[in-house]
Amino acid sequence: MGKIRTADELDSLRQSIIQKMDPNKSCVRICMTGCRAYGAEEIRDAFNEEISRRGLEDKVEIRETGCHGFCARAPVIVIEPQDIFYQQLTADDVADIVEKTLVKGDIVDRLVYVDPMTGEKIPFAHDVPFYKGQTKNVLRKCGIIDPTNLSHYIARDGSAALSKVLTTMSPEQVIETVERSGLRGRGGAGFPTGRKWRLVRSAAGDTKYVVCNGDEGDPGAFMDRAVLEGDPHSVLEGMLIAAYAIGAKVGYIYVRAEYPIAVEHLKIAISQAEELGFLGENILGSEFSFEIRIKEGAGAFVCGEETALLMSIEGERGMPRPRPPFPAQSGLWGKPTNINNVETYANITSIILNGADWYSKMGTETSKGTKIFSMAGKINNTGLVEVPIGIPVRKVIFDIGGGIPKGRKFKAVQMGGPSGGCVPERHLDLPIDYGSLEAIGSIMGSGGMIVLDENTCAVDIARYFLSFVQSESCGKCTPCRLGTKVMLDTLTRITQGEGSEDDIELLESLGEQVRDTSLCGLGRTCPNPVLTTIKYFRDEYEAHIKEKRCPAASCEALVYAPCEHTCPVNVDAVGYIALIAEGRFEEALHLIRQRNPLAGICGRVCHHPCEVRCKRGEVDEPIAIASLKRFAADYGMEHRVETKVDVSQPKLEKVAIIGSGPAGLTSAFHLAKQGYKVTIFEALPVAGGMLVAGIPEYRLPRDIIQSDINFITSLGVEVKTKTPIGRDLSIDDLFEQGYKAVFIAVGAHKGQRLGVPGDNLKGVYDGVSFLRDVNLGKNVRLGGKIAVIGGGNVAVDAARSALRLGAKEVYIIYRRSRQEMPANVEEIAEAEHEGAKITYLATPTKLSGENGKVNSMECVRMELGEYDDSGRRRPVPIKGSEFSMDIDAVIAAIGQVPDLSFLLPDSDLEITKGQTFVVDPLTLATSRQGVFAGGDVVTGPATVIEAMAAGERAAISIHNYLTGKSMTEGHLRQPEKRLEIPRALETPEEKERVRMPTLTLKRRLGSFQEVNLGYSAQKAMEEAKRCLRCDLER
Amino acid sequence: MKGRTKSQKPDLTKVDKIVSKYKGERGVLISVLQEVQAEFGWVPSQAIQRIADVLEVSLGQVYGVLTFYAQFYLTPRGRNTIRVCRGTACHVRGTKANLRAVERILGIKEGETTSDFKFSLETVACLGTCFLAPVMMINRNYYGKLTPGKVEPILKQYS
Repeated sequence: MGKIRTADELDSLRQSIIQKMDPNKSCVRICMTGCRAYGAEEIRDAFNEEISRRGLEDKVEIRETGCHGFCARAPVIVIEPQDIFYQQLTADDVADIVEKTLVKGDIVDRLVYVDPMTGEKIPFAHDVPFYKGQTKNVLRKCGIIDPTNLSHYIARDGSAALSKVLTTMSPEQVIETVERSGLRGRGGAGFPTGRKWRLVRSAAGDTKYVVCNGDEGDPGAFMDRAVLEGDPHSVLEGMLIAAYAIGAKVGYIYVRAEYPIAVEHLKIAISQAEELGFLGENILGSEFSFEIRIKEGAGAFVCGEETALLMSIEGERGMPRPRPPFPAQSGLWGKPTNINNVETYANITSIILNGADWYSKMGTETSKGTKIFSMAGKINNTGLVEVPIGIPVRKVIFDIGGGIPKGRKFKAVQMGGPSGGCVPERHLDLPIDYGSLEAIGSIMGSGGMIVLDENTCAVDIARYFLSFVQSESCGKCTPCRLGTKVMLDTLTRITQGEGSEDDIELLESLGEQVRDTSLCGLGRTCPNPVLTTIKYFRDEYEAHIKEKRCPAASCEALVYAPCEHTCPVNVDAVGYIALIAEGRFEEALHLIRQRNPLAGICGRVCHHPCEVRCKRGEVDEPIAIASLKRFAADYGMEHRVETKVDVSQPKLEKVAIIGSGPAGLTSAFHLAKQGYKVTIFEALPVAGGMLVAGIPEYRLPRDIIQSDINFITSLGVEVKTKTPIGRDLSIDDLFEQGYKAVFIAVGAHKGQRLGVPGDNLKGVYDGVSFLRDVNLGKNVRLGGKIAVIGGGNVAVDAARSALRLGAKEVYIIYRRSRQEMPANVEEIAEAEHEGAKITYLATPTKLSGENGKVNSMECVRMELGEYDDSGRRRPVPIKGSEFSMDIDAVIAAIGQVPDLSFLLPDSDLEITKGQTFVVDPLTLATSRQGVFAGGDVVTGPATVIEAMAAGERAAISIHNYLTGKSMTEGHLRQPEKRLEIPRALETPEEKERVRMPTLTLKRRLGSFQEVNLGYSAQKAMEEAKRCLRCDLER
Repeated sequence: MKGRTKSQKPDLTKVDKIVSKYKGERGVLISVLQEVQAEFGWVPSQAIQRIADVLEVSLGQVYGVLTFYAQFYLTPRGRNTIRVCRGTACHVRGTKANLRAVERILGIKEGETTSDFKFSLETVACLGTCFLAPVMMINRNYYGKLTPGKVEPILKQYS
């Protein structure tokens, strides 16, 4: 191709290229940018070899393209003309693809994308949800063309915008078009592009420059890289049009050196453009001349800031200059300079070709067009997406991004890299545009979106970004140079457990100062991650400082092992698992019992927060920490293992505990260890509280409970069943009888009524009473069709019990969605397996009956509305969505409150509106001296292990109280000497969790036999060996 | 990248050739330094003096630029650059053990170069290939799902 001298010549060239394109020729488009890290080069070579071997060169084009965007599924290819999408392929798959798809036209099933939500196989790119949700404008050619082949570019309207501008538009008209389009700078600041061009054009002087900022330095951002590597001509064309509009003759592209492929493709593109006369003198026969030079960055994040970038082009240290004067007035070598981001320039051609009106229809009132985002972090579909501005954050993360891996909870999304703030869950419905994000302390930024989940520490993320910024600070201005250092030191101290009370205030005030007084954007925005994490995750900062605890179990200096750290009673889980791996089962049980006296119980019913944090879960599945605890306990029971407990010198003082649930039992255990005489008063005929009255035997057999209780009573603890506290025996009486302290741990057993008409009909049961009756052996007759209302463990337990009692159809009706159901995930699955049908987003409005007995229930459907203070979305009824069902019995399991009727009328104990005790959060002391309260009676219904932690806390407080020490003493865990257990031989790299054997469905029906059968010794050791031994990684 | 041992004096005619390419242009200091480093693998002190002389800038100015930008090395580098990723995904999947293996086998620590100038070792915050964690790069080659046992055979492939 010789030089193109006129617009007509360009059109002819385009036509001749298009004519030569064979629509029947297949094309295999292989991403050769990011996918190179996954073996794309080998795949390309395999294709070339195979095509050549079969002599198919005339029928198949193998094309190397730029980024397709779906990086999570790399390596990817798309086959034209069918638009077949293959993902995660290897060089070994190529022969099959050629044979089956290229030759025969069939699909190779195993390479097709499977939607993880629906299990559907989706062979065509345009149907894949990741792509469907996008609007490709800037990226319209990326992944389609070979970026090093100019004719591909030209054939698809490449250079048409330049031609249109040079032949039919004046510079003024160009600027006016860009202004009307509403395009704003895509580098992060969002300055209106048209206005900037106008400012540069009207600045004094004849020498002007156009500069492209390709110094994409934000960690996690790779939008500009994709554009430069995949469609470099679009950027050149944008720069040409800008230069024409403002009157510049020379342009620079500043690319960071860490993008060698981008530099290479730009060099090729520039020389191609020069060859064809799109760069140089008298472009397309006009008076306009323009040349572009490339400058490579040399490794300095601050050079992404426009004035620092200009200094760098001038060959100086990249330190920003004060503004005004702005580059538009005085930029490169003091001349008026237009600097725009890569993506900004890449937007120009579509605006010119399709018009400002077309462009401004996309986006919001104040932010027009589309934006490219790079998604990274804890998100399933990592990669690049282009969406219209104004799309809700939630849609990008969940619909296009595929949500959070491993079923973990979303925590926040960091937008804008080190300059951005985090967007927490409650703001997920915000539209992504410049204004809305600024309003909550974040920014849109250059487009990097890093998703954080519950296992990411908010404090550590702030520290991570600040550490990056601190090392990149140029040092010129004091606020940034010193401010970032002090902020970083403070954050580092906090993550190491050496934070102090004033640190949060210091970070806030210092952050604000640095933000308001720094010289450039780096300093001005770097406090954002700190300030927003403090705003939305203050509790995490406080846990680090006050309790030396990292809620995400991530900060290495604080965390011995994530499992141990997360456990509310800090069981040395990694320790007992290591012992089991070595076959040292007895020692494992002793180690467990140092912190947890209810091993058999917890091994079966604990909600195991440790497993959510387990690092093995990042590799495949978490270790079955709870089931291994169960194994140790069962082994102990079977082999009559006795755990010796060190008991202090016997003390004279007596302590009374009201309630023999997990809180009371644990408290008794710790007090007995201290030598106190403990008596537990229990109203029911059996001990165990909710464990025996609320959890069905198919989950927690009676003999297991008894065995654990025996371990505690073996320390001399007395349990008086059938002895309620109340009128006949009050708290005052207990003190009179010589008890020196009382711990109230009566739990929350009073079921809440449904509160709808008919909720007092016969056949309407309260969930907890129902379970208690079943567990205590009362004969409960339900009928055939049962509805259980609620979504917690009580509801699920009630449903599974009803099935065993002969109910033919059991429905669980829950007012929120499945994700929000508080019941254990495994329990929900088992309930469905056993036949329970769950209806989400519905709630009863009325119960009707005949002869005083319920026979029908009316419900209304719900949708999730606004966020309330608890951070959850409030369910809101959908008008007109009522439906009815015939029903024989209704079990209400919508929540419990404590039953405080045992208190005397003149009791001075302070209680809340929700019928819980008011206590000091640290010491659990009530408003009456010597009386403490903990567990569900304080928190409302919670979990077994949290109640146990409260029991231990009460014991420490009572011990302090009785020995005259300050009550706050001793609550902070001290570092302790650990057992040294070597790592088991070679931890298996990829091995699924050992499955828990369960009773067959047939054997479950009509019986309350335990469903989970427990690991054998061999299975237990196998599972234990999967542990990564995080304690040894420190 | 070609590596040289410290005892060899750099061929300064190469420096002259590079500078002459930029004759007549403004602000070429960084570009010149980049090409010199590409030629020698690092920026030798004799080259720095020569550049200051020919471009007629102060030695201080050249050092100012060299020490500001992370890309420039003022000590000789190995022929092969090993980059062990220490990003989050890699961290969680045991990249530390890989790093220790490299350090042990080569006898150098992070930031150092082997005495035969075969390898230089660095860690990087994130290579962006989290799907392959834990990852190590040598020059432009990626080694994913790396374990300590695989390190030695990989290193042996390089001369």
